Amino acid sequence: MGLDTEKTLNQLIIMLFVGVLILIGQWVGYGIPIMNAIPGMLIVIAICMASLIIKDLLPNLKFPAFAWASLIGLILCMPFMPTAETVLRFTKEVNFLGTTTPILAIAGISVGNRIDEFKRLSWRIVIISFVVFAGTFFGSAIIAHIVLKIQGII
Amino acid sequence: MSEQKTEAELIKFQGRIPVFARLLLTVLVIVIITELIGTKTISVGIANIVLLPMLYAVVIGVLITPDVLGKSITVLEKVISSEEIALAGPLVTLALLPLGVKYGLLVGPAIGQVVKAGPAFILQELGNLGTVLIGLPVALMLGLRREAIGATVSICREPTLGIIAERYGINSPEGTGVLATYLVGTVLGTIFYALLGSIATLTRLHPYALAMACGMGSASMMTASAGALAATVPEMADTILAYAATSNMLTGIDGVYAEVFLALPFVNWLYKKIGPREGGNK
Repeated sequence: MGLDTEKTLNQLIIMLFVGVLILIGQWVGYGIPIMNAIPGMLIVIAICMASLIIKDLLPNLKFPAFAWASLIGLILCMPFMPTAETVLRFTKEVNFLGTTTPILAIAGISVGNRIDEFKRLSWRIVIISFVVFAGTFFGSAIIAHIVLKIQGII
Repeated sequence: MSEQKTEAELIKFQGRIPVFARLLLTVLVIVIITELIGTKTISVGIANIVLLPMLYAVVIGVLITPDVLGKSITVLEKVISSEEIALAGPLVTLALLPLGVKYGLLVGPAIGQVVKAGPAFILQELGNLGTVLIGLPVALMLGLRREAIGATVSICREPTLGIIAERYGINSPEGTGVLATYLVGTVLGTIFYALLGSIATLTRLHPYALAMACGMGSASMMTASAGALAATVPEMADTILAYAATSNMLTGIDGVYAEVFLALPFVNWLYKKIGPREGGNK
């Protein structure tokens, strides 16, 4: 599958709107002046668009755009990369928590027509979540304990 | 996806500008209100509960939909109808991307430390599959079906929302599952981990090993569990916090890849083995 330019253009317009939401949100919440954060936001959006385009060009890879976005961000700001200093200087004006608020507002709306499903899951999902949380904790702790023992650290 | 429109069709502007405008303006209002309230910290005994704007945002987002407040407030129903809700699905996937970029930008500068961190750090990451190993059987026992995939693939923080939303759609059963665990984690996660951290040494596992386990990809949960653990063995506090932070950073980096290439195939494989038999479901 090649690139659908119309879809990409629509994605770009939406990303620009998302950028505006984040800029206003972090101005209200963290006092970051909107003008100061525009260059950083444009860099972030450029990386987002690159990840969407890569995902469309490589549909068989099944690697999500979200993962591409974080991978590109990571590579661009590794200490030995010539891009690191510039990218970090501008993007530090884009607040980490500021990016999360619009996501959760939209996510909340998107589940609005499935309230009944959540009601059906009800108390069971609380139990499952706690089992899941304990699962990752003890899974990691047991492996770490064994490896640290083998290494002679403990 | 069960939607009659594909994702590419949903994000088309032609003739749908009012739908976009209503949804985006509503989100803007929610963002402004929640950011004005700001972060609140409530201390309850051993743990601090931190309430972030994103938590209020998801609650308000759910409340204003037709099934909840829209039922009684007809004006709301005109603003947020099924059309806006349908558009919100693909918008979540796009709105998540800047967060993905920020994760990469946080970790990139520290890549050297990660490479230095020993084999224990790397191997204990496999322990995150424990969510599937004990979570999936419990979820199936309690009668969940495909929701169980999303609910138990990991501790379901933001990266997992991104991965599941993209792979299955946030409107799928898997999407319901991931959002459910996400919501429980957001509301009760720090309290749960603070309690777990304070009783963890009872297991006789070494505090250093427990410290590595505290880093599971959520800064607030890591802080809660490592803080509580360190308080029980104060003579090791510094090393515990350092190990926990490093492990948390590691999960931040590899978490996305481990989920795509390990946890998601693993949970689907296990579901096929022990899950309910059903036809016609992906």
